Order: sequence, then C-alpha cells, then structure tokens
Amino acid sequence: MAAELKTFKGGIHPPYNKELSSGKAIAEAPIPDELIIPLQQHIGAPCAPLVSPGDKVKVGQKIGEAEAFVSAPVHASVSGTVKSIEEVANFTGAMVKSVIITPDPQQEAFSGTPRDTENLSQEELRGIAREAGLVGMGGAAFPTHVKLTPPKEKPVDLVIINGCECEPFLTCDHRLMLERPEDLVKGLKLLMRAVGAEKGIIGVEANKMDAADALRSASASEPSVSVEILEVKYPEGAEKMLIFALTGRKVPPGKLPSEVGCLVQNVGTAIALHEAASTGKPLYERVVTVTGPGVKNPGNFLTRIGTPISTLIDAAGGFVGSPTKLIMGGPMTGWAQPDAGAAVVKGTSGVVVLTSDLVDLGEESECVRCSKCVDVCPMFLMPNFIVQATKRAQWDKAEMWGALDCFECGCCSFTCPAYIPHVDYVRKAKAEIAALKKK
Amino acid sequence: MATNKLIVTPPPHLRAKENIPISMRDVLIALSPAVVAALVVFTWNALFNIALCTVVAILSELLMRKLMKRKPTLNDYSAVVTGVLVAMVMPAKIHWVMLVIATFVAVGIAKELMGGLGRNLFNPALFGFVFVWLCSGFIASWAGNLGILPAGFDGAVAATPLAYLKHGTFSSMPHPSYLGLLFGHPRGGALVEVGSFWVLLGAAYLLYRGVIRAAIPTAIVLTVLLLSYILGKDGVYAILAGGVMLGAFFMATDWVTSPMTLFGQIVFGVIIGVCIVLIRTYGAPSGAVAFSILIGNAFVPLLDKVFKPQRFGAVAAA
Repeated sequence: MAAELKTFKGGIHPPYNKELSSGKAIAEAPIPDELIIPLQQHIGAPCAPLVSPGDKVKVGQKIGEAEAFVSAPVHASVSGTVKSIEEVANFTGAMVKSVIITPDPQQEAFSGTPRDTENLSQEELRGIAREAGLVGMGGAAFPTHVKLTPPKEKPVDLVIINGCECEPFLTCDHRLMLERPEDLVKGLKLLMRAVGAEKGIIGVEANKMDAADALRSASASEPSVSVEILEVKYPEGAEKMLIFALTGRKVPPGKLPSEVGCLVQNVGTAIALHEAASTGKPLYERVVTVTGPGVKNPGNFLTRIGTPISTLIDAAGGFVGSPTKLIMGGPMTGWAQPDAGAAVVKGTSGVVVLTSDLVDLGEESECVRCSKCVDVCPMFLMPNFIVQATKRAQWDKAEMWGALDCFECGCCSFTCPAYIPHVDYVRKAKAEIAALKKK
Repeated sequence: MATNKLIVTPPPHLRAKENIPISMRDVLIALSPAVVAALVVFTWNALFNIALCTVVAILSELLMRKLMKRKPTLNDYSAVVTGVLVAMVMPAKIHWVMLVIATFVAVGIAKELMGGLGRNLFNPALFGFVFVWLCSGFIASWAGNLGILPAGFDGAVAATPLAYLKHGTFSSMPHPSYLGLLFGHPRGGALVEVGSFWVLLGAAYLLYRGVIRAAIPTAIVLTVLLLSYILGKDGVYAILAGGVMLGAFFMATDWVTSPMTLFGQIVFGVIIGVCIVLIRTYGAPSGAVAFSILIGNAFVPLLDKVFKPQRFGAVAAA
C-alpha cells in the first residue's frame, strides 16, 4: 500500500467533486423531440450527407460519410425522419452542417448482426472501426481507425486504456469500467489484435479502486492484460503523461504515441469497438456525465448523439441554485456554453454546471513571474513566456518557448495568481504559427 | 431556466484559491513576527517608521499611476509590502526624510516607472534602500548619524554586529551571541536585526503556504555559511547577523525579480550568497545583502534563458 503510485512530474490537484455522480449507475437519457447530428464531430474531413430532408432513417443508419482517410462517418442515433440539413452552431460555437432528425414516437432497438470476433484480422478490425464511426471519446475525437493504422516502421507493442478520468467532476468512464469491465477487456483485446500489440494496460487513478477491482477480476484470465493504479493528479490522463507514468517512455515533441510503441485509447472507445465488432453497432450513443452543483440530480446518462444539452439538464432534475457556467466537457478543458442548445457529440464526456461560488473571474493582470505555471506544466514549458511572445505578436518566439508542444491542459491558468488565460493565448499563437507555416 | 446569466470564458473553468492579493497578504502575515519584535525593541520608533513608509508607499503608487494614466492597483497590496520592507531594512533611528526618499524611490521609481508590478527588474524595497544608503554619503555605520538630524535626536546606537564580522574578534567591541542574533539584541541597527528567529518564523509560513520555494533561500544561506568558513569566518554568525535571513526569504524570493526555473533559482541564490560574503569581507560591512540581491536581480533574464527547462520528451543535443 505504501508503494508510490505511478505518475508524471508537474500537474495540479483541482477540486475533483466526483462524488456528485460517481455512485450513480448509468441510466438511459430520454429521447428529445429533435436531434441535431453534426456532420463533423471529429478531427479531419467533414462528412457529406447521405440522406435528404423527408427521408426516413433507422437507428444506426449511416447518414454522413467522407472519402478522406482522416474522417469518420456519422450515424442516425434514433429512428425517425430527416427534418432538414442545415448549419447549426456546435458546442464550440462553430457553424457545422448538421442533420436534424425528428424521432419516431416508437423507437425500435438497433438490430445488428452478431459476429464472431475471435478471428477478425487487423484489416477487418480497422474497417469495423471506420464503418462504426469510432473516434476517441475522451474529447479530442480523433478517428480510431487512423490510430489503428500506425506507421509500419513503428510497431506498437503496448495498448493503454486511459481509465484515469483525471478531469474533475466527470464519472462516465468510471461508471463504464465499473459496470462493463468484461466488455472493456474484450475491447482492449481487439485493440491489441488490431495493432499487433502483445500487452495491454488499463491505467486507473487511485480514486476509482472499485473500478480497478472490477477490471482485475474481469481480466484475471488474461495474462497479457494488467490493471495499473495511478496517482490522482491532473492531467494524468493526457496521452504523453499517461504513457510516461506507466512505462517511463517519453513521446518526443511533435510525435505520436506510436513513436514509442504505444497506442492509447479511451474507455468508451474500447467498449464501442467491442460493440461494433461483435454486433455491428455503430457509435450513435455514449455515456455523458451531467453534474455540478448547478443541477439537481447529477448522474451518468447513456445519451443518443445529437441530444441537446437542455434534455440532459432536464434528465438531471433541472438547474438548481445559481448556474453561472454551463460547460460541455470537463471543467479544465471543456467549452463554456452561452445556452443549453448545443448537441451532444461523440466526444462529449460531460455537461458540468458550475455555480457562482466555483467561478472565480478575476481580472487579468501583468505576469508577476511567480513561476507557478512553470512548476505545474507537465510539458516543462514556460507558459508565461509563450503568453508574453503572443502579446507582442512574436510568433517565432512563441514557438521557441514551446507553444506547439502545449496540449492545453490548463494547469498554468488554474494556478496563475494573475488570472492570465494562458490557454487562450496559446491557441492564438498556434493559429498564427500555423498560418505562417502555410505561407 | 436561468440560462441568460451564463458566463462564457475560455478554459480552464476551475481555479486554485490564489491570487496576487492573497499572496501579498501572506507576505504581510509572514512579516508580522519580525514587525512585532521590532515594535517591542524599538517601540515608538519602529511604529513611526513602519507607518510612515507604508503611507508613503501607498501615496507614491497612487501618484505615479495617476501621472502615467494607469489604473490604480492598490488592492494588490504590493505597495504595502514594499513599504513595510523598506522600514524593516532601514536603521531604526534614521531621519524620516530618508525613509520618505527610500520609499518613494522604491515604489515610485523602481516599481512604477519600470512599468508596474511584474515589470520591475530590481527588488523595489532594496533599490530604495540602496539609493538612500549611497546618497547619504557612505554613512559610517548604522548609528543613525546622518548629518541632518535635528537637535536632540539620539544618534548614539550600539555598533552594528556586522562590524564584528569584518574585523574578526574585536576585543573592544562586545558582540551578540548566536542566541542574541536569533532572538534580538539591543538596538543594533535595522529594525529587522531584532532577531533572525522572527524572520524565520514568517519564512516557514511562506513556505507552508507555497508563496515561496525553498531553492533560493537555501542556496543563499548555504553559500554564505560555507564560503564564510572557507574564508575563516564564523559561518553561523554570518547567516544569523544582519539581513541575510530577511534577504534570503523575503527579498531574493520576490516573484518578479527572481528566476523562474529551479536551476535558475539555485544559481541565483549562489550568486547572491557569494556576493554577500565577498562584500562583507572585502567591502563595506553593512548593506552587503541589499547589494548582492540587486546584483542577482540583474542576472535574472539571463538565468531564465540559460536554465529554460528541457521540454518533455526532448532529447538533449548531444
């Protein structure tokens, strides 16, 4: 017990508040009157619609697809009628072409074709992942089949399931690990087969020991799979931090995990791959944690993609107290919403409602060089100098100080006594640097 | 639904319970044991000096920011901290004009003219102190004999314990014991020289609260200790006497004017420690800590660049 838990250097200990929803079993969210399914929910090319207004769709039916390799198709999450196809603001505020579906009053269950997953080849598994529209469900939504196609000269020997769920408040992965450990282990085995890895690790933060125990018994007969406990620290679940904590391998700047023989996948994605492989079920629903002191009954909801936030708020008993911030995703990296109209997408892990006591909106002042941002940066950058360069529009300097290596975990801003929104500056610097490189 | 009141800002949406006013208040809390000790030893004298410096610091900031058309920033408490620090490093029986000048130079020039909190290169309090120290014509000692004293002002103060350090055993000069240096000796110079223990008590609080890190003070104290012994001096005496403890824990750790990386901070501390011992041994017996920290401040931009951390996963250039 006294053994030191695996972790990385830097990071922070925000208030976690997981207990609001960690004890709540996954429940099905109600189906709204109208679903908004964006044709781009992932990193990569947007999909072209395969349906037209007035068309009848079945649950699980493919309604959007793109030719590009880096993309993922989207599927109808209910059976119903296509009402329209129009540009709708997504959770980031960007206008995205979306398919609006009016669900049938009577919903039929998805009917898939059971398949023996034992003998699926790497090629077949990649195809299944693509057809099912799988993306990383932790937030970034990177197409899974792309991750399953590592460069030939970089063999992957280890698949890591990211069970850290280091974002405060969120508990959807916790519940999945606890309630569906067998499916997760099966999903991990498929991922290992897909990339030819001999070993699989499920990394779980020490605040979810019940999930770790469930996974240990579910994987007891799998010698190639182990469950490792990690220190509770943010951002333990960041890909590079997690790989380092578990293996000591360091992904070089600007490189992908395959560089060090690793593949990291989200809990939900692994389970979705198992479902897609064994029944053909595409990714049209996911577990979303609806929580925070600003909702009455926090919980974890199995939610159809395209469900507006307002439906989930209602499912959680509605707002309570003085909701000050409505966040899509976790409170460290998620997007604040102006209203509850945005739709759940494949990468939506949570809806967090913060009340005024948790929102500290101080005025940004000059950096006082306290070095707290340097102390906490898990990438060992000097965030204050990136900010300084960005303020002065010195993009070469911003790059020199590591703007491109920042993965925007937000530890610096969390700890900054001067209320500097580093992440905002870094995003600006990244955009400017990218624009300059295009020239 | 109260959705019309939702606030939209970029992530992260959670914050540590800290900001500049909280940290500055922590510094004031940490200074309080030494301030109380000074009040006990120097009574009205200390009270007058501290009050005067604090008021002048606040007025200087207000005035300069008004002149430069900047928003007032008094609520960050940094002017108050600087005022108290100036009072603590100045001799107890110094003329009030000197206090006013030192405080104005500290806050008005070293901080505000440089661009305000965050942009100053040199520690404001020490800048003000050194300015007065030099401009009053190399005051022979901390005796308070500044030449502009009004008639009847008591200028006779015990010789500073630092003189002992320079001259070694000085039979004619009784010097305080280690315990005396820790818990106060009678009227031996600056307010803060009432006892290093009280300074250390406050320092422990700053470390506990995470306002300062241990690297800089540890490097300074160890350097002074070891180098003093190497040069044949009493190392323990050297770190307990004068302003070493206040300088190491309260001045050299000033966020704005110290390096941001661990290695930078260690080297910074060593530079200051070496300067303190050399100045005390071969130069003036007093003021060494202030000069040394200001010299260290000048190295900060370079130290930040040289000791820029190796980013995660980067391979050292072979």
